[in-house]
Amino acid sequence: MLKDIIKKEIVETITSPKFVFTFLLCAVLILLSVYTGVATYSAELKEYGASVALNKKNLESQPSYGALAGLGTKISRPPQVLSSIASGIDEAIGRVATVNVAYDPNLVDSKYESNPVFSVFGALDLAFIVKIVLSLFAILFTYDAVVGEKERGTLKLALSNRVPRDRLILGKVIGGYLSLLIPLIIPLLLSLLFLLAMPNISLDGEAWGRLLLMFLVFFLYLSVFFTLGLFVSARTSKSSTSFLVLLFIWVTFVTVIPKVSVLAAAQLKPIPSVHEITARKDAFLQQIQGGAQKEVLAWVKENSPKPGEDQKAFQEKFRQWLEEYQQSLTAKIDENNAALERDYQAKKRAQQNLAVNLSRVSPASALTFSTMSLARTGLDEHGRFLASIRTYKPIFTKWANAKMMRNINMQTGEQGGKVVLDDMPQHTFDPETLGRSFARTLPDIGLMFVLILVFFSGAYVSFLKYDVR
Amino acid sequence: MIETINLTKRYEDGRLALDRLSLKVEPGEIFCMFGANGAGKTTTINLLLNFIPPTEGTALIEGIDVTREPLRSKDYVAFVSENVMLYGNFSAYQNLDYFSKLAGKRGLTKVDYAGVLRSVGLQDDSFEARARTYSKGMRQKLGLAIAFIKDAPNILLDEPTSGLDPKSGQEFLALLTAMRDKGKSIFMSTHDIFRAKLIADRVGFMKQGRLVMLKTRRELEGEDLTELYIQYMDER
Repeated sequence: MLKDIIKKEIVETITSPKFVFTFLLCAVLILLSVYTGVATYSAELKEYGASVALNKKNLESQPSYGALAGLGTKISRPPQVLSSIASGIDEAIGRVATVNVAYDPNLVDSKYESNPVFSVFGALDLAFIVKIVLSLFAILFTYDAVVGEKERGTLKLALSNRVPRDRLILGKVIGGYLSLLIPLIIPLLLSLLFLLAMPNISLDGEAWGRLLLMFLVFFLYLSVFFTLGLFVSARTSKSSTSFLVLLFIWVTFVTVIPKVSVLAAAQLKPIPSVHEITARKDAFLQQIQGGAQKEVLAWVKENSPKPGEDQKAFQEKFRQWLEEYQQSLTAKIDENNAALERDYQAKKRAQQNLAVNLSRVSPASALTFSTMSLARTGLDEHGRFLASIRTYKPIFTKWANAKMMRNINMQTGEQGGKVVLDDMPQHTFDPETLGRSFARTLPDIGLMFVLILVFFSGAYVSFLKYDVR
Repeated sequence: MIETINLTKRYEDGRLALDRLSLKVEPGEIFCMFGANGAGKTTTINLLLNFIPPTEGTALIEGIDVTREPLRSKDYVAFVSENVMLYGNFSAYQNLDYFSKLAGKRGLTKVDYAGVLRSVGLQDDSFEARARTYSKGMRQKLGLAIAFIKDAPNILLDEPTSGLDPKSGQEFLALLTAMRDKGKSIFMSTHDIFRAKLIADRVGFMKQGRLVMLKTRRELEGEDLTELYIQYMDER
């Protein structure tokens, strides 16, 4: 009997006009999103390669180490292959950071900065389609699952037979869910084939693991809305009421909670503005620079050779002192900036964590955070990448200062020596492991499981007591 | 056999929907229950199908207490409801196939389904058409086919002739008569005095949850059922 109910649910759904419409729309949107995602990734990969090569060429063409230290090296953010599925905050954050002796590095030149119109519409990636479009379809498939049968009189007719209610609702759940998955699975399989066929896309074992976990998250997310639809349908006596209630919940989950959480977090945990931090850094820099001039003059006055003394020895002593002094000043500046930055980042992280945790009540946020983590396009990966650049900064600065001071002509103050990059320390970044990313998604996956359990139990119990009249 | 013993239903809001109804519909009998909207006719059917629990009393189908053994009792009863829409995307065959399987009928073929569909007066060219394209009369006939294919000894009908055109109504009554002749116990709630008078073996009038009149076909001979109905509804 369960098999008959499941079969009926599937056949009834797939022969309905809403299924045909849903399937076509899903197929077009999913394939389009994967195609554009792959095209964007390919372009970004090309751009990344060009940017790295150009940086090397620029560095090599610098006339001196002083110029190189001032110009700095550019660290480009490598594109993530799974950004074609979930672009996360990839397009909003900068793609390149300049590391030089003077300023704290920051990622700039985001896609939105280059073309602000992108920020208006956002990315049409698979995660977005699942979050918005497919969740709406899940509601569309379930809002009348129980109440619609009541209105059509088929529920009374079915229950006038020897049909246990628990079996009927179970059949509806299984059959309905399988019907909902068809418009998702077929285009997804086609998308996977497309990914495999693309020469620019190379997915290693870990990337496949991440992709499969993302699909699991998609299925869980849809299950939340599917069971919610059943629950509301089993709690209402009119399908129009059920639809309105579900629409209200959907809007709350998908748009209201995430946005309100960010606003609430900003109110509850305010942070200083970036300008304020920059002003503090600049003030300290000026203070150091003012003091440095005096210090150098004082040193020269105190250590200047008396007439007849060895000028060369003085120059060598001055060079050594200046190099050490320069390094100590840079260290002081770096230390101050790092402290300011640490404080700012800690406050920012606290605000972000609060916003994330508040918004996690919504399955839409849970989907967003988990897919971003799995695609390595989330806040954490961005933070780790920026941190790796900031860790690299003093290493680069130390190298550049040393080179600069060793190649300065102390008599003329001119920079000399050909720039050689062989011993220049390179920036390295270890992307987050799959295990760590998965662990990060566990609260979101757990939340979705809890919601599914609550909604399913609610639907189940409500249906057992449902007034079929 | 369909039987109720002091069957009473009082809703949560305190409204008494059915007041100590005691009734027996014997095999080979058509019982027509009349009454205004809210008189308790549909409540009786809902209680007999265990869709709602009784406040007091017992409802029996084939001697089985529907409250104690709801699933078993449903093996012995078929139900035709008012204005059932069925599954609009399904054909007559598909609707019949699904509900016959729910009724526990296995191994039936399209030939069996076609035979039942013909027996309720549906045309062959409508068997494959989607139910959403059916007229109300055709849907009622399909609903009756679903009840017939179950082949239960008892049939409950809730306003089955409402909205049917005269020809469909006539055909419908002929089918019920045929069922009665096969020995089924038929309980029908209706407002349709004219049609019911043609086939009823007994009629009952309900008012505010109480059975206020019960007459056999013989007792009704020479009586104007409409007058009687109005009289009972007004006076008591």
